[in-house]
This record gives sequence, C-alpha cells and structure tokens, in this order.
Amino acid sequence: MATVRYIVNDVDASLAFYREHLAFREVMHPAPQFALLVRDDLRLAIVSPVDAGHPGGGSRPMPDGTRQEPGGWNRFALEVDDLDGTVDRLAAAGVTFRSGIIDGVGGRQALVQDPSGNLIELFQPTIPQAHERAAFEERHQQ
Amino acid sequence: MPDPLDALRLPVVPVEPRPAFAAALLRQISGAGEPAAGQPATARYFVTDLDAAVTFYRDLLGFEEELRSSPAFAMLYRGDLRLLLSVPGRAGGGDVLPDGSVPAPGGWNRIALRVPDLDTAVADLRRQGARFRTGIIAGIAVRHALLHDPAGNLVELFEPAPGYHERTPESAS
Repeated sequence: MATVRYIVNDVDASLAFYREHLAFREVMHPAPQFALLVRDDLRLAIVSPVDAGHPGGGSRPMPDGTRQEPGGWNRFALEVDDLDGTVDRLAAAGVTFRSGIIDGVGGRQALVQDPSGNLIELFQPTIPQAHERAAFEERHQQ
Repeated sequence: MPDPLDALRLPVVPVEPRPAFAAALLRQISGAGEPAAGQPATARYFVTDLDAAVTFYRDLLGFEEELRSSPAFAMLYRGDLRLLLSVPGRAGGGDVLPDGSVPAPGGWNRIALRVPDLDTAVADLRRQGARFRTGIIAGIAVRHALLHDPAGNLVELFEPAPGYHERTPESAS
C-alpha cells in the first residue's frame, strides 16, 4: 500500500476535510498531531509540526532547527471519471481550488487545496496510458 | 434457415489462464503471504532534471520506468505506487498555471517507502552517494529517514516499529 505524508497546521480540520470532501476513511487519530487515513490503496498520514522533544517523529524539526511546513507543489493525485462534475460538486461544497481545469497531454487536472494549502490533484485521463490501473494491472498479470 | 433458438445461445467465451491472479487468490484464501496487489496510488513530484531524477528513483530506490513520453514527463512504478515526474513550466503536468505561477520542487510533503531494514537501506544509499536530510529518526511505531532526490524533493524511508498499524481486512473495509 502506498503511503504519503502531508504536513498540516490543524489535524482535526484536515481530517474533516479529507473525509467529507475526498472520501478518505479515518484509520486512527491517536494524538492531536497525527491521523492516518485511507482511500483505496492510498494511505495518507497527516501530521502537524511538533517540537523537537515530541515522541511523534514524523513532523519534528530537523536537527538544524528547520521546521516542517505545509505547502509545496508535490502532491498525490486522485483519478476521477468526471472531472467537471467533481469540480462542480466540490466547489459547491465550499472547497478551494488552486486552479481551474488544466488540459494536459495525458489528461485534464484541477488542483484542490486542503485547509493548510496543500495541493491535491484531481486527474481525469484522456489517453489509455494515463490510467492509473492500466500499466499496474498489466504488471501484476505477468 | 437459421435456428430460432440461436438468439438465446450464449457466445463461447475463451477462458484465458491467469496464473498470477490464481496464485494471488490462493494466497488470499489461505491467508498466507502478502495480500494480493490492490489498487495503485499516484503521486506527482516536480524535478528540474528529468534524467537525473529517473536514474535516482530507478537505480537507488527500485522504481521501474514505465513511460517517458516527453523530455518533461516520466511515469515510474514501485509496487503499488505510481510516481509521476514533471518538469516545472513544461507540458506534462508541470504546466504554468493560468495565474502565471510555476510549480517547483521541494516542500515537506512526501511519499513514504517501506523498507525491510532501515539501517541497511540508509547505509547502502549513502554508499551510493545519496544525500539524506536527516539521520534515522525514531518515532512512535516507525523509524524513518528523509532522503533528498536530485531536485531536493524529500522521500521518506520507513521501517515499522512495535505498534505499527498493519492494514487488515477489517481496517480495509
């Protein structure tokens, strides 16, 4: 199972966001600074920055004191069948988008922002090779 | 004259043997070994030098190159993780946004790759010239280390420790 870690400012707010809008399921939320969510085969760990002495290791400052923060452009992508419909539904629910729909080579995408400003890519493939499962299933049939 | 019952007859469907699927199903039924391959998950990283990034992920981290459809885009797989590499400012996922902003590498959000033995993995990677952002960090239920890719993106390598959450049929429902 693939795992991604996102740094967030407020774990409770982010947990609610990922559950309500993007169909993640809460696996655990054992501490205020950490929650683990699952959606299909993606495991998403969300953590808020902690101090150096905190037992949770995922969001401690670096040894040089640099603190971990939300943001950046790297992201996970969720494949959707109907990008327009998904964007309309999320926008109507008050979700913030970083971009409108962008037409690319293998598909179309829109960038959602979580409550801390992290990006989530909604991706609708327009060519067969861009489908998430295509190459994967071929691999696993060998 | 055609047989009027032909309309009710089902076509003959050839059955193709799928040994890999059968083996996975058998493992699942018997409850042994790794669970059958599930669905893939996708992450996108921005990299300034596509060749250097593909070499790094392929040669050091065991990704397989699936597609390199342009000088600005590559698709890699490692188990059930699909990693898309896009060059900022270029078509292929790195497109300039309508407001003019250009994606860039970096940030703290990251993919996390499970390794069976973190100490060995870190030592091997260091020997091969990989740069780490941290030494090994012991947390709750995992130990991990943060690796830099050639563009400065972070990759988390982790090894489960006591208390680690394993996905079970109940938790996966």
